[in-house]
Amino acid sequence: MRQSGKKYEASQPAKKHRAVMIRGATDMLPLSLAVLPFGVLFGSLAIQKGFTWLEGQLFSVIIFSGAVQLVTVELVAENTPFVALLFMALVVSSRHFLYGLRLRDRLSQQSVRWRIGLGFLMTDELFAFSNHRRSYASKYRLYYALGAGGSFYVAWNIWTALGIFAGVALPDLSNLGLDFAVAAVFIALVIPEVKTVPTLICVLASATSSLLFLFYGFEFGLIASAGIGMLCGYGMQRVRT
Amino acid sequence: MTRYLFLEEKLPLRLGSNISQLLSFSGPAVLTAIFIPILFFNNNELDISISNAYLWGGIGAIAVAYKTKNVYWTMGFGGILFVGVGVYF
Repeated sequence: MRQSGKKYEASQPAKKHRAVMIRGATDMLPLSLAVLPFGVLFGSLAIQKGFTWLEGQLFSVIIFSGAVQLVTVELVAENTPFVALLFMALVVSSRHFLYGLRLRDRLSQQSVRWRIGLGFLMTDELFAFSNHRRSYASKYRLYYALGAGGSFYVAWNIWTALGIFAGVALPDLSNLGLDFAVAAVFIALVIPEVKTVPTLICVLASATSSLLFLFYGFEFGLIASAGIGMLCGYGMQRVRT
Repeated sequence: MTRYLFLEEKLPLRLGSNISQLLSFSGPAVLTAIFIPILFFNNNELDISISNAYLWGGIGAIAVAYKTKNVYWTMGFGGILFVGVGVYF
């Protein structure tokens, strides 16, 4: 009797953990579906730019970040120097530093496994899920986040695989302006962010210098123009406050 | 790594407000430096002619992104303009 009671108690949390994980996954589903076009875009772009299907898939398995993956594939295809590539990836993902800082109070007491696990799964989408006052505050909420983040990871990889399949099956289709689709995604990410004068200055400076550097064939033009944009925006902000 | 770093309890660091202000411009700066050349350059040559479909699509996408702030409208409208201009010329 007592034994079975114990067993019952032991299996109960596990069951409940699974239930909250599933709830996390279902709550995440709209966002998982929303990134389908980007996953497919990335997969087919990787094929078009000459990566193998395995390399393309590993991007999503290992890196798991839409913007960084698109940036990396574009830059590798343009024979960007490796140092420049690393730097760009670091700068593009630097917003994760800010996420880490915001979640530090809640997550830094958790075990290494939770921190590495949820840290790896931390995307813009999962971070958007983290605004609740009590998120990550209990075991259940940790499992909930694991379900949300984990399902998003699986979805992203499925969409990538679909894109790779499309890229391999329809190689002609992929010539139809995938580059433009990438540009449009970035436009959609940047323009809504331009809410203040410093950001506007940052974007204009970055745009102008990127054109000038490319026109004069400067190898590190991309990094330089990103840096100039950041500094101009920052400078403008300092001047105004 | 960037995601994990600050979840480490032992890390004594606090990001200075100057650095985090500078970093807040990183997204727009980097992405702009990537998408602007896609619109203006074809095969490493500057193309600001009226037949540059990338440029038309880009202008349309920027306008829609500004108005709607929605990724799908932006991609949809920009894409239609891009294909339309490409077919016309």
